[in-house]
Amino acid sequence: MNVLKVSGWVIAAFVLPCLLLYVCLVFIPILVSIYSGMLDWNGIGASKFIGIANYTKMFTNDSVFWPALGRTFLLAGFSMLVQVPIALFVAILISRYVRRPNFLVSSYFLPVILSVVVIGQLWKTIYNPASMGGMINQILIGLGLDSWTHSWLTEPKVAIFAVILVSLWQYLGYHILIQFTGIQNIPADIYEAAKIDGADGFKADRYITLPMIVPIFKISVVLAFIGSLQSFDLIMVMTGGGPAHATDVISSHMYNMSFLSMKYGYGSAIATFLVFVCMLATVIINFLFNRLDKRYS
Amino acid sequence: MTRRSRMLGSVMAGVLALSLAACGSGSSNTSDTTTKPADNSSTTTTTDNGNSNSNEKITITFQNIYPDTTDPKNKMLHKIVDQYQKDHPNITIELDSLNTDQQKLKLKTQAASKEVPDITIVNPAAQMQPFIDADLFAPLNDMIEQNGLKDTFQKGILDYYTFNGNVYALPDGNNIAVVYYNKSLFEKAGVKVPTTFEEMVDVVKQLKAKGITPMAIGEKDSWTGSFLFMNVLLRTNGGPGFLKDVVDGKKKFEDPAFKEAVDAFESLIQAGAFQDGVTSFDYNAGENLFKTGKAAMYFMGSWATGGIETSEAGKDNNVGVFKFPTVNGKGNPDEFMLAPGSAFAVSKDSKHLKETLDFLNYFMLNYPKETFAAKGAVGIAQTVDGDFKAAGYSDMAMDVLNLFKEVKGGDLAFDNTMNPGTAQAHLSSIQNLFVAKKDASEVAKEHQTAYEENK
Amino acid sequence: MSQSVITPAVKPVIAKRLRGYSIKKTIVFILFGILLVTQLYPLLWLLIYSLKTNEEILSGSFFAFPAIWQWENYTNAVAGGKYWSYLSNSLLVTSITMVGVIFLSSLVAFAITRFRWKYGQAVMLVFLLGMMIPMQGTLLPLMVIFKNVGILNTHLSLILPYIAFQTPIAVFILSGFMKTIPHEIEESAIMDGAGVFRIFRSMILPVSIPPIMTVCILTFINIWNEYILAATFISSEKLKTLPFGVYSFVSQYSVNYGAIGAFLVLGALPVIVIYFLLAEKITKGMVAGAVKG
Repeated sequence: MNVLKVSGWVIAAFVLPCLLLYVCLVFIPILVSIYSGMLDWNGIGASKFIGIANYTKMFTNDSVFWPALGRTFLLAGFSMLVQVPIALFVAILISRYVRRPNFLVSSYFLPVILSVVVIGQLWKTIYNPASMGGMINQILIGLGLDSWTHSWLTEPKVAIFAVILVSLWQYLGYHILIQFTGIQNIPADIYEAAKIDGADGFKADRYITLPMIVPIFKISVVLAFIGSLQSFDLIMVMTGGGPAHATDVISSHMYNMSFLSMKYGYGSAIATFLVFVCMLATVIINFLFNRLDKRYS
Repeated sequence: MTRRSRMLGSVMAGVLALSLAACGSGSSNTSDTTTKPADNSSTTTTTDNGNSNSNEKITITFQNIYPDTTDPKNKMLHKIVDQYQKDHPNITIELDSLNTDQQKLKLKTQAASKEVPDITIVNPAAQMQPFIDADLFAPLNDMIEQNGLKDTFQKGILDYYTFNGNVYALPDGNNIAVVYYNKSLFEKAGVKVPTTFEEMVDVVKQLKAKGITPMAIGEKDSWTGSFLFMNVLLRTNGGPGFLKDVVDGKKKFEDPAFKEAVDAFESLIQAGAFQDGVTSFDYNAGENLFKTGKAAMYFMGSWATGGIETSEAGKDNNVGVFKFPTVNGKGNPDEFMLAPGSAFAVSKDSKHLKETLDFLNYFMLNYPKETFAAKGAVGIAQTVDGDFKAAGYSDMAMDVLNLFKEVKGGDLAFDNTMNPGTAQAHLSSIQNLFVAKKDASEVAKEHQTAYEENK
Repeated sequence: MSQSVITPAVKPVIAKRLRGYSIKKTIVFILFGILLVTQLYPLLWLLIYSLKTNEEILSGSFFAFPAIWQWENYTNAVAGGKYWSYLSNSLLVTSITMVGVIFLSSLVAFAITRFRWKYGQAVMLVFLLGMMIPMQGTLLPLMVIFKNVGILNTHLSLILPYIAFQTPIAVFILSGFMKTIPHEIEESAIMDGAGVFRIFRSMILPVSIPPIMTVCILTFINIWNEYILAATFISSEKLKTLPFGVYSFVSQYSVNYGAIGAFLVLGALPVIVIYFLLAEKITKGMVAGAVKG
């Protein structure tokens, strides 16, 4: 139970500056978006109110929407279930074996700082066909695995996985940093006490690190989810959503609709749907972690 | 305790309502701000100009797409602007130079909130239509009559920027689509310049057999493939105007001419004309294959001439050009894909409309001279006085210039003719042909459906 | 990582309990090494890239060095990209944003987790909702708001939305941490007669340095390369930030990749230097926080 009893004015002083800014610049635009989502509007000229027609079209008559949503969740799934756990594993190893971890953690973090322009260009040269000097394909051929070679970014079935891999790679260090910070925050005396009780090595990790890291792990998972739903730059740089929408995700679809096809109303409807999905996901993630938290404590 | 929180609650609710109202009134104002000169950006005058002219200080915001200082167009832009500022000390031209995609996004956002910069850049015809419908630009009819500016433009070019009898924008370029080819690679494979599309497919096969990439394209930017496809369609349709006929309801995409174009286009792809991984190459990466001598042919607008003539492949007049040939004996090679360039438009609500128009007039008058000097005058929209050959333009540039003289009409790119929604569907449908073989009637149906949905 | 000096600050207990497992350790360090190579390679690649010609870059050879080192890419980047002006604008905008985010969100997190009031969870929920909203989706409404407030084409039109969009995640992280601080702290402080603001400033804030650092880093990453809002709201040359420099080498029909590479190196260098300089302090701060917490 919180102990500080304060007057309303104090609460207002603490909360309002931030809340006002947030409401004006994030919340209101979203409300406007929800409204725009019910318009037939090219974003420039006159608009017409059409109620939920955009949503009907989106759910029933948009051949790009559902696959794009599916790919978005694919990316989110890989990110939450593969990237974040690997990051945790590496973070545990670092905190266990490395005495001066700064250099290592900082280095792992570097790809996040670099602009996607560079990251995209780099990976394109890696993924290129062998005839264009693509590294992966050349290695495969060198190993005699010619049948494994692919045109990684242009085969519709393969391309999305190629892009997902880059995204996982780029943000691995980001999650390592977060998890590592979390592990550093676990008080050393807990481990000491555990050692006296005979818990050491991996046992200590199982019974101390993992339960203690849950809140941080949750932050990482949430960030991974948000990142996935908003991922957009990397896809635009690497494939532009192509070939023929094969790597479109929900955010790139939204961008295409709002600004390229000039269906701003429809794009806003997609944005609204995205926000709704996010809300739902936040609730689910919170629920799952609360259960996890309870089980451990 | 409960009383206190209730009080707090009401305070919070009140403040929240206030803030909502504040923000709300902000957005509801927008409808009636159209009449007031809406340019915050131009009121933040720069102070580093340091002149003490008694005249009113004026800042004109000039949004443009020439951000690269190593690009001749950027140099030309700065040269004209600097000169103008020298002659008019009270006027500052604020250059907002952005890359093309970002400029489009910015202008659309600005247009939606009636916040268009004094001078901006738009694309011709259908792409300009929404801005005209929203009544954002000032007519330039009177301005182009001053100093004989109108007569510097090539005949007919301003039509693409004219709506309801008013000229709304002045183009920086006027290009045609040609096929560039690498002479030494052609020699190596023992092939000649094709005069029909069927020969072209044959040439592709022979080049391929010699291990040479026949054609380069940057299909990640899907307009490149569409541009080529539209040229095939221009032939199979026996002349220009297919899309116009569709818009006028005289034809459908299921028309035989369209299907024939799809079949021909696919035969080129299936012959292995393009490099591997073609949809991940952007415009520059695709063009670079040709420039570095790794591909034998390159279909592109004549704007690429300058870059190609200074490239590795273009040395010693090694690159030639030819007209896109007939398809199944149909069409006229003198009909080209036409690419009227992006154009300068003036905001109707500009705070300094007169000065802005004066400046643009000056700018366009000097444009041909300066681009000619910067060796960028192949494919500009104005007539140029000057001897290209003597000025040191390459043989290839001269060839391209000669092709211009043979132009007997043609079609515009798909997205300059159709509404944006249909155009996007088309781009993706054509891009798909590069990675999957599809039945022509299916492609036609995709187009027709998209067209009807977006009508 | 073969320093023989053990820094006592970093968990001597853990370090000690693992001495002796040398085979395991070797495998782990090989793993670290591989990861290090894959994560550091882009930087090296970028350095080489920034010295190549366009043709060499687009030809896409992965390991190749440039035939002639193109130092002029750097001169182009500094002059054409207006490096110094953009850099100082970026530093200004980013640092104000970071200070703003931390100040505002720590106040809210403090209020939510430590005050006894009814609407704490409701406020938390409101912030949670905003966490997932993509900044680009709000471009148009923001434009309208800023136009009417009259702050278009000022740094404020960047700083305000940057702060607003970073606060949800910051509140989420900070309140997650502050929740775990034992309540005895305030109880004893109240006994001593300390006011709310003093408890916040001299007891909660110092302990919260580790999550604040995390928030700093997150904010920084999201802001430093942000281009869409910046390009839309800023028109004056002298107000533009670093990403403008990167994209200034993209023309309609050509891209000057070498200069982009050089510009990215110049843009990333100060960051990397600052980061490595601060990294030591950051970890120390974290450990200090852990001990106190």
